[in-house]
Amino acid sequence: MKKIKSNCPNARIPYGTWGSSYFPAWQSSALAEVNIGQFAGESMAEIMSQRKVRVSQLDYLIIGSTIPWHWKFWNATVVASCMGNRIPGYHIEQACATGLQAIVLGASQVQIGASKAVGVLTFDRTSDSPVGVFPERRSYRRTEVISDVWDNFGFDPSTEKAMLTSAGNVARKYKIDRKEIDELTAYRYEQYFNGIDSGFIQKVAVPLEVLSVQGKPLGKIVSDEGVRKISYESLRAMRDLDTCVTSGTQTHAADGMATLLVTSPEKVKDFSSRPEVQIEFIAKTEVRVHASTMPEAPAIAVQKLLNEIGMSMDDFTVVKDHNPFAVNDAVFSKVMNYDWKKMNNNGSPLVWGHPQGPTLTRVCIEAFEEAVELGGGYVLVFGCAAGDVGIASVFKVY
Amino acid sequence: MKKQLRQSTLENLGLGTVIDIFKNGKLPVSLDEMVDKVFGKKGKRGAMVISGANGIVGAGKVMQFASRLLAYEIPIIALDLPGSPDGLSKQFKGLAKSFGIDESNKIMSSIIRMNYDGKSLPKQLKAYNPAFLLEAIPEHLELKKSHYNLFKKEYPNIHIWSVTSGFPSKELGVGIAHPAFPHEINKIFEIVEEKPSTQTQLLWTMGLIPMQVSDDWSFVLDVFFCGLLQASLQFCDQNNMPYWKADKYIRKIIGPNPFRAHDVIGAKGSNFLTWSCLHHLAKEYGHLFEPDKQLADRKESGQNWYPANHFRPLVNRSLNKDAEKQLNTIVYGALFQMTSIMLKEKRADLTTMNAIGELCAQFTKGMLAVIRKKGKKEVLETIKDYHKIYPNAAKTKWFPEVFDDLKNDDWQQLYVNAEIDGENGIITISRESYNSDVNDELNRAIDWLIKNKIKKVILTGDFHFSTQMVGADTTEFYPAITDTKEGERIALTWSKTARRLHDDFKISVGYIHGKRCMGGMLELMMHCHYLIANENLTIAMPEITLPVVPGMEGCHWVIRKTKDKDREKMFKLLLGGKQIKANEGLGWLVDFTGNTEKCLQKAWEILNKGEKALSMRKIDTKALKSVTFKEISKSIQINPEAAEVIARCIHESCSTDLEKAIHVQAKISADFMVSKWCRKGKIGVEFDKVEQN
Repeated sequence: MKKIKSNCPNARIPYGTWGSSYFPAWQSSALAEVNIGQFAGESMAEIMSQRKVRVSQLDYLIIGSTIPWHWKFWNATVVASCMGNRIPGYHIEQACATGLQAIVLGASQVQIGASKAVGVLTFDRTSDSPVGVFPERRSYRRTEVISDVWDNFGFDPSTEKAMLTSAGNVARKYKIDRKEIDELTAYRYEQYFNGIDSGFIQKVAVPLEVLSVQGKPLGKIVSDEGVRKISYESLRAMRDLDTCVTSGTQTHAADGMATLLVTSPEKVKDFSSRPEVQIEFIAKTEVRVHASTMPEAPAIAVQKLLNEIGMSMDDFTVVKDHNPFAVNDAVFSKVMNYDWKKMNNNGSPLVWGHPQGPTLTRVCIEAFEEAVELGGGYVLVFGCAAGDVGIASVFKVY
Repeated sequence: MKKQLRQSTLENLGLGTVIDIFKNGKLPVSLDEMVDKVFGKKGKRGAMVISGANGIVGAGKVMQFASRLLAYEIPIIALDLPGSPDGLSKQFKGLAKSFGIDESNKIMSSIIRMNYDGKSLPKQLKAYNPAFLLEAIPEHLELKKSHYNLFKKEYPNIHIWSVTSGFPSKELGVGIAHPAFPHEINKIFEIVEEKPSTQTQLLWTMGLIPMQVSDDWSFVLDVFFCGLLQASLQFCDQNNMPYWKADKYIRKIIGPNPFRAHDVIGAKGSNFLTWSCLHHLAKEYGHLFEPDKQLADRKESGQNWYPANHFRPLVNRSLNKDAEKQLNTIVYGALFQMTSIMLKEKRADLTTMNAIGELCAQFTKGMLAVIRKKGKKEVLETIKDYHKIYPNAAKTKWFPEVFDDLKNDDWQQLYVNAEIDGENGIITISRESYNSDVNDELNRAIDWLIKNKIKKVILTGDFHFSTQMVGADTTEFYPAITDTKEGERIALTWSKTARRLHDDFKISVGYIHGKRCMGGMLELMMHCHYLIANENLTIAMPEITLPVVPGMEGCHWVIRKTKDKDREKMFKLLLGGKQIKANEGLGWLVDFTGNTEKCLQKAWEILNKGEKALSMRKIDTKALKSVTFKEISKSIQINPEAAEVIARCIHESCSTDLEKAIHVQAKISADFMVSKWCRKGKIGVEFDKVEQN
């Protein structure tokens, strides 16, 4: 394995101290009815308990979410209380990059010596989007009302375009063939269901039971509800919403949470069931590409990052991304000259859904788990975010 | 010749043995006598002062003493600082519920509220001639000491008790009467004094339950109560278990909900008291008691343990086998180690220590009964496993040798005692509800009496811990709710024990005193050849209201002893579930009623003179032919499905001979226990609450 200098040599992600809820599609589960911040805090306690981690050992909590939730003002403290440990922390938000950015910030928190053991907890509920009422004295309506999830998807105020339009723009720019997109999507589904069949997904996602206010069972979150097998033929039959974008070749809104820990190297043994495994953060970069071309941003970010740290795609054992549109992966493949079949083993957000905040956290967890299964190596995780942003990060598993 | 299986707890109060009560035909002391001794003769009576009267403890005790001493016109002075929140008025609603509005108004009229500045006593207090001070001011040692000096200076002969929950008497310089929560109704007081005082005996005559404990930091109740919270916090920490859910699991294995209990008492005060108790114990004994960080935080904030309403639990939690084992290891390991220290220090006799866990800390089974059942090997292994999780706890000295003698009578007879005087024996039960421990101990007591050639026996309460006989401990039925074999086993085992009262003695007299006797306890007592009861005592067979089918032969035993014309009354008792006064049962259920003295004397007379004292109603062992009750069963409104089964049980158990009837009743009772009707009833719902995740 190449020796690449880490930007956070004093931070580690202890193996196995992670997990996520399943990501049921929006409006399809009990998660549509809960305070997602509370759910995330309580679920983290449960997940860590299953991983034999005492949450009282944590000294800091970084939470990430993108959709306003009740009592969000109280930030990480209220979620920490729901988890059962009154520790400080803060909230970060960077649209769909949140799940990766939170991990990077966790590593930074440990690297600068501010904390020894940081919980990273990302979550969102896209169901029943909250509605904001904003006095806008200069708008002709004087008061603007925004449904947080759908109105933002449909309109980037910087470009006046919808997100979906950006996918069509990029497909046209890179002359992507619809047939390739359908093949790619069918393959991604196959990868996910292989991950289910092999038990891989079950290592990451933890079944949880949600209670009603009366303390009675409200529902069980035991699968990525709404995901069903889809054939190449049925993908072919779907109508275009924009170039190379159909309802089948884009992700769907979901609800859920994901969590992992970042600690100092000395603390790994206190948390991990396999302390001999080291997972180290190496580097990260971000780019912002031309207006309304979001799906190409991740490829550009990866290109930039590899140049900066002197790595090539051949150096990676695991490559995984947040791919809200199948176009993302096709463009990445073209830009980086990398076979899209080699990436996103065991599943990706295109298939298992997109609850925004926790999406890239789950991508990272799945990537680490896969790298450990493969005996270690470099892991590349990347994705796009609202505002035509691309984010990419490299981790080393050894 | 006088002999005891173990020492009676009454003797700790200087009140002699139970058999002496029967022999003397009266209680050892009376309320009239003790009031005179403590407060002076009528017309010259001094006052009772309760300081800190607006606090939770003070207000509760003001109500308790005022209601019980009302007839004696003793001024109850409720003393507190001006501006302290009114704790007394809050109690009035509960008082009115218990006594009715008119009686409550009278009780309140005997309470005189006074304010003081904490530095000097009000001048008008002198007019009431304070004779007895019960101090319930905040838990600050120096504050308490100066408070006593204030009183002693003005009233040198005043008797002072502190209700402190932690400071030893040797630190305070006064006696201690530490009451159990809830203070307005709980009768228990842990008493610390060199020898039983008249004040302690006064409590006993008032129907309260004083228990003698030793003078150590924190008393038995608080070691159990605070120790359990400490262990529960350790379990929560190990498993990230939320407190509300931990409560559920702890309730299942031990009985109480430690976190809920703190919230109900008032988290601000109770968190501080628990922390304070553990803090002082840790200083005295070491790490085992070191207050958990969460408790240290919450004693400052006073924050509740249960989540606020807007954060009602959202994610359910369950225990896997490893976590369940860990729960048992931590909770029992800590409590066993703490108990070993208390046993070594002889903080109380074993019966008392065990009863404090049940009566004050809400343990389903007293800690000593649990230890006895587990046996020394398992107890020591549990403590060692606990130390593997909490190595620091091992640094606190503990005493494995105290578990060496689990076979001794003191350990074996925690609930049931036996005494002998000449040819007469007595069996006393100190537990208000019947369970398997009582059943085993009752058998051992009977064996002991038989071994000592005793043929005449009285079965009764212990005149101390047991102030009523409420029936079977329904938690014992939980295994029977899903398994008919268990139900049949319990019914048969208990019935066979009850039959020994009839079969193994020439004369057996069941004497019921106190408030009430119901259900399984009544079935037990009715097996005696004679049943004697205080005239105003309540009797009931409330099984139908739960519903369950009586399993200890209640459906046929009395009927076999009753004339045809009176049987209908027993059917009504069984099928209606209503309470009657003992007087109403005279002749068909009860053989003699009267006031306490008359009953005591009659019981002793029967023992000595047999049928010359009172004729015995014999049991008909053959199949009864004329048992009809169809009209009655049709008129029953509550739980008609259960009524039908109870009616069938009466019919079938009476329609066979005595030998077979025991099996008939056990089977019908067990079959009903697994039915949906039982599951939907009180016991079934409780079972589901406790047992299901």
